[in-house]
Amino acid sequence: MFKDIPVDVSPMHEGERIRAANMFVELAGPKSMGAELIQVDEDIENGDLKIIGPDLSEMTEGEIYPFGVYVKIQGDKLEKELEGVIERRIHELSNYVKGFMHLNQRDQIWCRVSKEAFEAGFKLLDYAKALSILLQEDFPLIEKITVTILTDETDVASFLETTKEAYDYRDSRARELSDEDVDVFYGCTMCQSFAPSHVCIVTPDRTALCGAINWFDCRAAAKMDPEGAIFEVEKGDVIDATTGEYSNVNAVVADKSQGVTERIFLHSLFDYPHTSCGCFEAVAFYIPELDGIGIVSRDFGGETPLGIPFSTMAGQCSGGKQVEGFVGLSLEYMRSPKFLQADGAYERIVWMPKEVKESLIEFIPGELYDKIPTEEEAGSIKDIRRFLRENEHPIRERLKQSRELAVTEEEPVSDTSEFEDGYEVEDGGTPVAYVPQMTVPGSSNGVKIIFKNAKIYAEKVIIKKNGK
Amino acid sequence: MIIAVSGKGGTGKTLVSSLLIKSLMGKGKDILAIDADPDSNLPEALGIHVDRSVGDVREELKKDTAEGNIPPEANKWDILDYKIMESLLETPEFDLMVMGRPEGSGCYCAVNNILRKIIDRLSANYDIIIIDTEAGLEHLSRRTTQNVDIILMVTDPSKRGILTAKRIEELSKNLDISFKRKYLILNRVKPGKEDELTREVNEIGLEVAGIIHEDEQVENYDRKGKALIELPDDSQAFKSISQIMEVILKKI
Repeated sequence: MFKDIPVDVSPMHEGERIRAANMFVELAGPKSMGAELIQVDEDIENGDLKIIGPDLSEMTEGEIYPFGVYVKIQGDKLEKELEGVIERRIHELSNYVKGFMHLNQRDQIWCRVSKEAFEAGFKLLDYAKALSILLQEDFPLIEKITVTILTDETDVASFLETTKEAYDYRDSRARELSDEDVDVFYGCTMCQSFAPSHVCIVTPDRTALCGAINWFDCRAAAKMDPEGAIFEVEKGDVIDATTGEYSNVNAVVADKSQGVTERIFLHSLFDYPHTSCGCFEAVAFYIPELDGIGIVSRDFGGETPLGIPFSTMAGQCSGGKQVEGFVGLSLEYMRSPKFLQADGAYERIVWMPKEVKESLIEFIPGELYDKIPTEEEAGSIKDIRRFLRENEHPIRERLKQSRELAVTEEEPVSDTSEFEDGYEVEDGGTPVAYVPQMTVPGSSNGVKIIFKNAKIYAEKVIIKKNGK
Repeated sequence: MIIAVSGKGGTGKTLVSSLLIKSLMGKGKDILAIDADPDSNLPEALGIHVDRSVGDVREELKKDTAEGNIPPEANKWDILDYKIMESLLETPEFDLMVMGRPEGSGCYCAVNNILRKIIDRLSANYDIIIIDTEAGLEHLSRRTTQNVDIILMVTDPSKRGILTAKRIEELSKNLDISFKRKYLILNRVKPGKEDELTREVNEIGLEVAGIIHEDEQVENYDRKGKALIELPDDSQAFKSISQIMEVILKKI
């Protein structure tokens, strides 16, 4: 099949690098320009291979040339949406050609031809031929294929314009990709060396907590290393689309966490939040007094309104523990349309560092932006409450509603006559105390009452002196 | 073949690395030098300047990711691969990769994991790889999954230097990577002390591959900041290292 090509063509040459010292010429790369593009075109003639501009024999050893690879394909079942997937194969397939180095993709490619290949009589036309055969072999859907190689500066420059349009289109499609559009999510257990029960679930709407990898990166990593720490997770049945709970995600998390975590919600910090390794870029934390959510990022050096810095909070909710009311997240997740959607998304956010807030200016709903305080406006829960009141943050509606609900459901228990001798504490909202553990004082008859992780809501707190 | 050169700081590790490279040059071999010690100055010893380390590339990728500069549909690992290749300093005689500073804050598990694969694949293209690594060896195990053929521990005649070499040897047993052969190179030895030192080293269970004597020329180069790789071919230090290399190549 490759018998007219003067160099070997085989997968064994994948990963081949050509040192500057051994190269005949360099094509595209950081010191020049170049791109590759695959497009579906109905009107092409199969096997049409063209070199526009100088081929290798007209090039000077040691020089760098612009390089464009324009592939057109046709097939009854070929859709435009497949262009990106097929184009991404060019990288691997080009490396099958011995003496031809190919790195990266799109308009960031970098190629080299070895002296050895050139001396054997290798031409760019041979490359075009090998590529057309390999692509058709890999994707039988391709019925017709043409390859045009451009090496002239003006041609490559105008080709770059064409490619840019195509890439932008694909990127805009990719940005729209959501959890509903795919059947497969990815799991990552890379951090299990220090958080043995932690499993990260990466979906189109939820990047990994570390911020380093998104759904597309996982897809590439799982393909590159199928036995590795990043693996496919069939999402299974949707249990709840709002909280982001899926039957098979639960099953995989239970399995990979050795049974420690049995359920997770992808888009909520209540009930069964996603666990955290310790790598997260930010933590979202529930503030019971305000029934709101605060966010603190790793780069924020000060104290949060809870009176503790990021590091302390990170310690409380990392290590693969599922801690209700806390969830680690990536900064990118805050740009997701599903960002904590089950909890009210940005309407529930009542505090975040200024730096984070400013980076999210395009993603926080416009009418909310000025209603969310940062460390500059509020350093304590009291400050936040005042700020929320002054700026009419929608969380106040929420608080009001829940209070009305509480009043109608329960009989008021306090006797108003007590007020004359007591102190009344009320500060805009329902006072709530959150205690990891407390013992009720004054129980003297040998019984001790201990509350663990209790949330105590009180309409009013009355402090009375004994004997009155 | 992968050769790692390790030792306590200031014992002549970089001298050995750079002269090993010099001894291998001009033989038609593809050589990769890796500077894996953030405190070393291998590029200076090789007479070249490197603008961008692997550490810099890693930080760039983290930054680009955080700022959303990477096209969503593009393959991030291919971008990383490209940038690593770009950070490589290529000379007619050898290529140099500088590892650079350790990670900043935040999580690098995913990036490092892929980085290791990229570096392994890149390294597979070379005949000989010389790694200048710090005494702790942790970097080495974090940066490669490949086994190292030879570890050369460099020490001066000081008790502390020799004990560090012993510690490196012990440490090397506890890593995920394994070493086929381990040798010690004694540097800055005063004439007449060879036998005594060799005995001392043998007693703690290390094999001496060779001895480099005190060398005024090397000291001069060091003082003037001249590239050690430019030492003349008849330099005492270079002749010793060429011999050591011959011995090693014969045994492997």
